[in-house]
Amino acid sequence: MFEPFVDVNPSFFGWLNQGPLTLTIFLHTLVVLPMIFIYYQEKKRLENEK
Amino acid sequence: MANNALTGVGSESKQLATWYFTFAAIIFGAQLVFGVVAAIQFVEPSFLYGVLDFSIARILHINALVVWMVFAMFGSVYWLLPDETGIETVGIKIGKLLFWIFAAAIVVVVLVYLFIQVGPADDTTIWFITEGREYIEAPRWADLGIVVVALGFVANLFFTGMKGNRSGIVTVLMADMIAFSGLYLCGMFFTDNISMDQYWWWWVIHLWVEATWEVFVGSLAAYALITIIGAHRKVVEMWLWIEVAMLFGSGILGLGHHYFWIGTPEYWWEIGALFSALEPLPLVAMFIHVLYDWGKTQGEQMGAEHTDEDHVKSVITNKPAFTWITLNAFGNFLGAGIWGFFHTLPQVNLYTHGTQFTAAHGHLAFFGAYATILIGMMYLAIQGTNGIKVMNHTKASIWGVSLITSGVVGMTVALTIAGYSQVLVARAQMGGTWQAYFDGQAGMWFQQAMDWRLVMGVVTLLGFVFLAKDLLTSGKSPVHER
Amino acid sequence: MAQKSVWSDNRFWRRSATWVTGVASVLLIWLTFDTMGQISMGTDADLKNGVTKRVPAPTVINYKVDYVFDSRRGHEVPKIGPEKEKFFGKFWSEEEAAALLHKGKLASQAKNCMDCHTLLGNGAYFAPDLTKAWLDPAWQDGGTMQAMTGKNSKEEAMVAFLMNPDQYPTHERMMPNLGITHDEAVALVAFLKHMASIDTNGFPRNFGRMQGAVHGK
Repeated sequence: MFEPFVDVNPSFFGWLNQGPLTLTIFLHTLVVLPMIFIYYQEKKRLENEK
Repeated sequence: MANNALTGVGSESKQLATWYFTFAAIIFGAQLVFGVVAAIQFVEPSFLYGVLDFSIARILHINALVVWMVFAMFGSVYWLLPDETGIETVGIKIGKLLFWIFAAAIVVVVLVYLFIQVGPADDTTIWFITEGREYIEAPRWADLGIVVVALGFVANLFFTGMKGNRSGIVTVLMADMIAFSGLYLCGMFFTDNISMDQYWWWWVIHLWVEATWEVFVGSLAAYALITIIGAHRKVVEMWLWIEVAMLFGSGILGLGHHYFWIGTPEYWWEIGALFSALEPLPLVAMFIHVLYDWGKTQGEQMGAEHTDEDHVKSVITNKPAFTWITLNAFGNFLGAGIWGFFHTLPQVNLYTHGTQFTAAHGHLAFFGAYATILIGMMYLAIQGTNGIKVMNHTKASIWGVSLITSGVVGMTVALTIAGYSQVLVARAQMGGTWQAYFDGQAGMWFQQAMDWRLVMGVVTLLGFVFLAKDLLTSGKSPVHER
Repeated sequence: MAQKSVWSDNRFWRRSATWVTGVASVLLIWLTFDTMGQISMGTDADLKNGVTKRVPAPTVINYKVDYVFDSRRGHEVPKIGPEKEKFFGKFWSEEEAAALLHKGKLASQAKNCMDCHTLLGNGAYFAPDLTKAWLDPAWQDGGTMQAMTGKNSKEEAMVAFLMNPDQYPTHERMMPNLGITHDEAVALVAFLKHMASIDTNGFPRNFGRMQGAVHGK
């Protein structure tokens, strides 16, 4: 499952870079996914305001 | 709200804005002149050889570009602050003083570039002549001056924003401008390590033009839509926040697309590729935003007047400004978005990196994303300072916008074609050596493309002459409704 | 009246924008720390012990530098040593090499190299890329540039060219005379050799290997 590391220096991000997309999916998840949480929080607020 | 630009008469902040715009327009002209010199040197290398070599012409071309845009950006902020906050800008006297310091510093830097050009390999050159790093060649004394000027400007923006009514647009601008100024610090130090050097150099260049400047443009577009067509503030500001989320979400880590080949780790391939691939999305959003709001307010106008499409009055209160802002929406998407995406993936960039492809993208992106909207802001200032109710096109404004746009698009197409030849011959076929480079340059496609680039550059310069004439005279023209 | 949608709510977008910007900035700073560690210059000891660094120590000028295909990484990488080679006829101490590279880097900025050439692919496109200029076949023994200057080493040929580029026209587009002194030229050559030893993830690809395929040299 884990690919051998080929870059010059080992590092956390280099390790996450396991092949197509793994690193970028990880980063995008951190950036975008919490918006779901914000969405539900705001939805609740709008409902309460009503 | 639709007529708030009319408060221009008597506002000191707006008066200061016109100073900034005037200086910006002059430097814009200088940018085009030196651009044409550099374009001639591609076709006829002996032109000004030993007097004003290509390197110097190009430094002046790209530095003038950065400087006129920064001036016009500062001017735009000073212009919109009274409208957005409802108060006169705090510390306007300091603002005026800083304007003169900034302008004087620029003149000195330009004279040194022109007449001293290069220096010996020691610190005095870095301090007083050139730092030799593309786009931010300005010597270190000027760097420090720019930091002082930028701090004063940001302080003015902050204190005015905190004292007056802080709209969404002002909030975004405050956050954006502090980042914009802070990032400049990353480009001021010297290191022997060229990889480290370029790593931080891109923090300035990329995080300016692909993050903070783009957000700035989003704010300007929001202000302009409210001002010109009376778009609803709430809708406009919602779009603005969406744009900020998308621009910073893709643009900050999109920085990775400059870290493919400068000695940085391989993981940047993936980060750069996929984050920067998303960079066009907010630009599409901005494009839709402008056209959508236009259609929406025009439709409401028709509803209000109970009339059909042929008899309804246009909601546009400043036609030249709106033309430029629509061009911005389109040019930003095409130049920064499409032309940027062309070569942002590492498998493509491996061969296009450092070729005329980049130059093609640079020309259309800087023009489409920034020049257009800043010229639009200049037209808003003319409307405001001359008390014009509805500003119409003059002959000169139409010639100006048409020639400049066709010129830049023409240059972009020409450089893209030159890029093909360079990528295929010099890079893919021959591997990028000295010989490969010149074989690529000797190709017919390359050479003809460079001829066309020169022709189109002259067309752009001609368009600028019309634009300058219009900016100077349009305020008094009888075609406008007062 | 219908329920107001969160999607058209300014507060939702403002909070999202703040989150996205904040996290992207934090990630970039984290990545920057990681990258800084990887691209800081190596030491002389690294070179002696054969430790590969992305950006080697200035004393790399004492080693033979090559650029060879690495099948594991799928592209060309710099190959440094283990053979040593004299640079301008001598081996340079750590201090000497560091001072030389410092001067060379300063010269590259003081002469605005980047506004005609590209360094690591960045700069202007009026003149050849200098990333691997040290390894360019034209400068090797028997290469056209070395032959033109009449010198018998790559270093000396480069110095001769840099000091008087207008005397060695290789193309209609000539490099102007930038008043580069002998010391500066030596330092610039060191800068170029050091740059050629940086691991650029295989940029430029196929450097100097493709010489016209079937009918080539």
